[in-house]
Amino acid sequence: MTNTIAKRNLRNGLLFVSPWILGFLGFQLYPILYSLWLSFTRYSGFGAPTPIGLDNFRRMFADPLFWQAAYNTLYYTALAVPIGVVVAIVLALAMNQKVREVAVYRALLYVPSILPLFALSFVWIVFSNPRYGLLNYLARFAGLPVIDWIGDPRWAKLSLVLLAQLGAGGPALIFLAGLRAIPSELFESAQIDGAGPIRRFFRITLPLITPVILYDIILGLSLGLQVFTQAYIIASTGPNTLAGPDNSLMFYVLYVYRNAFQFSQMGYASALVWVLFMVSLVLALIVFRWAKSWVHYEIE
Amino acid sequence: MKRVVFVGFALVLAVAPAFATGQEEAGAGDGRLELTFWTSHTPPDSITLEAMVDAYNASQQDVYVEMVQVPGSETDVAQLMTAVRGGTGPDIYMLDRFTVAQRAAAGVLEDLTEVMEAVAPDLPDSYIPYAWAETQFQGRTYALPFDTDARVLYYNRSMLAAAGIDPDLLDPSNGPITLAQAREIAQAIDQTDADGNYTQVGFIPYDIMYSQGWHYTWGFNFGGQFADLDAGRVTPTDPGVVAGFEFIRDWAAQMDPQRAQTFISTYAPPNTPPQQNPFLTERVAMMVNGDWVLKWLDQYAPDLDYGVTYIPVPSAGAQPATWAGGWALVVPTGSDHVEEAFAFMRWFAGEAGQRMYTEGTAHLPTYAQLMEDDSLFGVDHQFFRASLAFANSRPPLPVGALYWDALTRAASAVTLQQEDPATALQRVADEVQPQLDQFLPLR
Repeated sequence: MTNTIAKRNLRNGLLFVSPWILGFLGFQLYPILYSLWLSFTRYSGFGAPTPIGLDNFRRMFADPLFWQAAYNTLYYTALAVPIGVVVAIVLALAMNQKVREVAVYRALLYVPSILPLFALSFVWIVFSNPRYGLLNYLARFAGLPVIDWIGDPRWAKLSLVLLAQLGAGGPALIFLAGLRAIPSELFESAQIDGAGPIRRFFRITLPLITPVILYDIILGLSLGLQVFTQAYIIASTGPNTLAGPDNSLMFYVLYVYRNAFQFSQMGYASALVWVLFMVSLVLALIVFRWAKSWVHYEIE
Repeated sequence: MKRVVFVGFALVLAVAPAFATGQEEAGAGDGRLELTFWTSHTPPDSITLEAMVDAYNASQQDVYVEMVQVPGSETDVAQLMTAVRGGTGPDIYMLDRFTVAQRAAAGVLEDLTEVMEAVAPDLPDSYIPYAWAETQFQGRTYALPFDTDARVLYYNRSMLAAAGIDPDLLDPSNGPITLAQAREIAQAIDQTDADGNYTQVGFIPYDIMYSQGWHYTWGFNFGGQFADLDAGRVTPTDPGVVAGFEFIRDWAAQMDPQRAQTFISTYAPPNTPPQQNPFLTERVAMMVNGDWVLKWLDQYAPDLDYGVTYIPVPSAGAQPATWAGGWALVVPTGSDHVEEAFAFMRWFAGEAGQRMYTEGTAHLPTYAQLMEDDSLFGVDHQFFRASLAFANSRPPLPVGALYWDALTRAASAVTLQQEDPATALQRVADEVQPQLDQFLPLR
């Protein structure tokens, strides 16, 4: 009897999740495996793929643009991820203040995050204008030198790191949830023992939100390595196929896109993607291993 | 429980047809065969295209063409590639003509040779030869030529006069000026603010954000050859091409490359619409650009006092040079109506269609007969037409887009003074030649 119920439940359960399972098999697993096969072929997207063994991977190591794209992407990620964590924590702390208007502040801080990235990218072009843009208006006001944020290869990537912070509202909400989960008794007893606000933050708050920090780093790493939209819109329009001045915004996924859809080199593009996947995987494993030394799971 | 499962399935079934029928579109609704025509053109040109499609539809009893504007650009055809691969491609697509060989090689285009030979075997003779040559790949026809264009030097007469230069010096009747003269004039016009940033410039010959200072422009200007089609080689290290790159490097060095770049970022940031082109807003006194700018000036800056002349030449008495591009009509792979699509293309790229397009957009026709009709060309436009006599065209290579990008990158590295021209161009050859080798022989 129990057995039949269990069987029926299993069947019904599988039926309920079947749309997801079918979608996963058809739209994710199949393309993933197919791209693995394509990475060993020459394929324009039409006709039959020609197997060429490891040629695509060999070509990559001799391809200066591959190295530049990899460098640009790692540079961007190495800056955007840690800065993103700090900004998100600061936002979350601001959202967690015990004032009456906190709901308004939360909404204000979160609003930029719901704007689509492509819209933000267009806004960013206006903001970063060397003469008329808000950023340089503020710089002049503060007596700082004017920077050509998207036209100067030395600044272009940094400018996109800044742009990424407009999206910090999303992770900030997760940090906020983490902050709210910290039992208030801990703060109360620390306060009685004479710990000031800074000490309370570093001794209580920060250690207890380390699981959220780990989550945010992993997520940020994966998103950072796949940065595409901003560079596509800001630096890659019309016949100007350069990605930013001196290709300073040629990010890895942008280069994959170029190869797949502009140069009709689906095989090479697939090989590039698999290398990206492997590198992401290795970086994520390194972060997990490293996290063992600093992540605390005390509250659970 | 059963009921819940049933409802769940019913929902899935109810939603499924919505995906399946997403393709169906409202068309003529009168039983005519509907063809889809995709273009990545934007206003003002797409407005004329729309009028042309309407005119064609009015003349047809059995066919109705639906024009759709899709995202894309000269070398970016992601929308087309994915749609064709998914079996939902259009029947006709407008493609940058210098990429026809590349897309044909990739298998995106229908071979039109048989259809054409059945209905119009003499069609090649109707078109300007270089434009027709760009529709061929390995001896087969994959496209019909649409418009063409030419690049010239635009100059702002009032800005020249304000800097104490007689604008008549640049009049084409005096022949081309030299690049050294252009440099002197440009320097007289350049203005900077207290910080040393340009607020007005005479000429940035290598700009590609608001003008057409491409690698091809200067390579051809110095007599360079970009490919040897018979040998199946790209030749970016040709002495003329290298000389063109040396010229833009030296010019950039004299302007201070980063300051010139900052000027461009300020007055021609990414996605600048034609109305804000710095030549139209009188921030730039001279630029190399194409005939379509005549329409912009006409519409957006009717009071601007400008002239058009030859692109400045390397030395006094040298022959002027320019290059011509343009678009083509193609049938993407998988269309079920190749014959009907070809009939539409013949009209659209034929006498009637190209006449409308030339009148509407100030591009040049590739339909040879129209070139003789003076009534189609205003005074300035006639100068462009005459320029075709000494125009080059880009080599129709199956790696055209890749080559273009590699050259663009080299030009950027050279103008930012990071690499010397010979090294940068050798690198282009090293990158592009192995990819070209897959498609040999080209002829």
